[in-house]
Amino acid sequence: MKGAILRNRLSPYLFVSPAMLLLVTFGVFPIFVALAVSFTNMNISAFANIRNVKFVGVDNYVTLFGDADFWQALANTGIFALVGVPAIVVLSLAVALLLNRSDHPFFRALRSFYFIPAITAIVAISLIWGYLYNTQFGFLNYLLSLVGVEQVQWLSDPVLAKFSVALVAVWRGTGLNIIIFLAALQGVPKDYLEAASLDGAGEWRKTFSITVPLLRFAIFFVTVTTIISWGQFFDEPFVLTDGGPLGATTSVSIFLYKEGFRMNQFGYASAGSIVLFAIIAIITVFQLRARKADDEY
Amino acid sequence: MKRILKNALAPVVIAGLALSLGGCASDPSPSAAEGPLTVWVMGDSGANFESLVAPFVTETGQEIEVVAIPWDSIDEKLTTSVASGAGPDVLQIGLSKLRSFADAGALLPLDDLLGDYPGLAPANFPSGVSGDATSVNGEVVSVPWVSDTRVLFTRTDILAANGIDAPPTTWDELRADAKTLTSRGSGQYGYYIPQWDAPLPIEMTWSLGGDVIDSDGNVDFDTPEFQDAVDMYTGLYADGSVPTNGDFDQTQGFISGVAPMLVSGPYLGKAITDGAPELDGKWQASLLPAGTSSTSLFAGSNLGVWANTDQQDASLELLEYLAEPETQLEWYSLSGELPTVSAALGDEDLNSDPNVAVYTEQLASSKVLPLVSNWDSSVGTELLNALNAIALTGADRDDTLAGFFAKTEGLGID
Repeated sequence: MKGAILRNRLSPYLFVSPAMLLLVTFGVFPIFVALAVSFTNMNISAFANIRNVKFVGVDNYVTLFGDADFWQALANTGIFALVGVPAIVVLSLAVALLLNRSDHPFFRALRSFYFIPAITAIVAISLIWGYLYNTQFGFLNYLLSLVGVEQVQWLSDPVLAKFSVALVAVWRGTGLNIIIFLAALQGVPKDYLEAASLDGAGEWRKTFSITVPLLRFAIFFVTVTTIISWGQFFDEPFVLTDGGPLGATTSVSIFLYKEGFRMNQFGYASAGSIVLFAIIAIITVFQLRARKADDEY
Repeated sequence: MKRILKNALAPVVIAGLALSLGGCASDPSPSAAEGPLTVWVMGDSGANFESLVAPFVTETGQEIEVVAIPWDSIDEKLTTSVASGAGPDVLQIGLSKLRSFADAGALLPLDDLLGDYPGLAPANFPSGVSGDATSVNGEVVSVPWVSDTRVLFTRTDILAANGIDAPPTTWDELRADAKTLTSRGSGQYGYYIPQWDAPLPIEMTWSLGGDVIDSDGNVDFDTPEFQDAVDMYTGLYADGSVPTNGDFDQTQGFISGVAPMLVSGPYLGKAITDGAPELDGKWQASLLPAGTSSTSLFAGSNLGVWANTDQQDASLELLEYLAEPETQLEWYSLSGELPTVSAALGDEDLNSDPNVAVYTEQLASSKVLPLVSNWDSSVGTELLNALNAIALTGADRDDTLAGFFAKTEGLGID
């Protein structure tokens, strides 16, 4: 009898343990490794001889906060998030609302159409967009030349490059979020909408007074995950511009990648990754706190 | 293919894992000297290299697996392979990376081994190629493989059509000619500066009589000659003689005549010959423009043996094969990269091509970049950022340079 009780108590832990083990190994443990490494001067010579690693205290953090490139990367990431998060949330919500209006096969085909960017390899995407954006031979400049517009330097102009890169990321990021919104739209009770129709509410009124408020949790979820992904923004600028021109598209992740993998300054890159982790954690916690409890429906 | 790492912590994870695995990675397994030799070649010449070593494979029965590493992901590849302990057996190393590779402990010291391989003896190579250019901290860690120098390529037909009889021989002439050629019309340029070409400003500094290393072996850009080089570099942009878009294609620009002058290596000559045979006789290579001298860059590649390889002998035999003059000449015809072995460099057939004569003459007055760790990714990147900021975004010249001097100050060879 005693064994059975023990087994019942233990079984939930047994079920979650594989997931927990993975989480701890690949999610939590590296953060502590990074924290430890961030207090050292570790670089590539440590591979030749481990004695080349020295404890340097908070030196890396002091250097980091005095590094103009890091501030530029932080500012870029901020700009990307400010432009990208509202763009993705509004755009995917709008598309989801439109797609949800009908179950016609055409609309179902459209759903997969919007989802394609989310599952296409980033390298393929960057190749295509790289050609579209190319200053001399690009399709976009060809179209513009038809109406007499001079060559636009989509990826070479420091200001424009930010938006060109962000545009690709928005285009790529909406697909998944549209699917999330569509799923949430299935959960909006039909009787609320019918009751509103009986009361004489129009389409706009129903959308903004019933559907959107009931999507609150989905909007919150999409916003939080989108903010986090823009905080770690990496793929698009990495393959399209490699952080250039002149660091205009260098996000914090790209800055860390370059410091770690190109300059081989692992201690310094770790300090940066801890700072990025802290920023994202603070923003996320703040959002969770600010959220009001969901109304039941 | 570049690895896309989403996780900002990834560099650290790998570093952390390497620390914990370091112990097991370093003891080479005594057996297992069988299996193919893995060779890393840089750039996109993997297929060419496979046909180059085909006779060696047939003769010795030693299988060879060639992996082509794109130039712009070498640093990442090095870091991950050193960290994981899973490197190749033989690898090509660009000279500017030699120091970083050696610092990482990735290269096998060859001093005691070269005696058994007469083909690799330093005496077979020109002294500028074999000495310091193969060793780090007094240890030989590599052998010379290909010579790369930078010369001026010009479209003589376009120059002549615009009243320019001969390629410019000084930087001032080049700037004036570039201006003339740019005035051909909208969308036409006189010269092309690759925005990623960090050695170019240094070649300019050298040819204007300066250096970027002071007498103590420290990086020092704060010299009048470098200031002149900056004025030349940014002046070409200020004249509107250079395309400002970063995605400009230099080969296409040269072949189409949009940018009929540029400084590049012998492989550009090969690319033009292969890609635009109709231009034969309408372009030529000439010595780098001079200020006081025509000093260019020696940016060859070396070959090294991975420190943890379990196939030392086979690796060195391959290096010996690759150092044979016939192999090196074959490589030139396959890839357009010049030999390093003196016997091959002096080959009559090779030098009957007037462009090759220019390359070899230029090689005689070429210098290597200072062997500072991380030269490409620290000094080179900072240099390009500073110059491009002035040229492309109109940043204040003196402030930007002051910031650049401060960032590179104190970096030394030792």
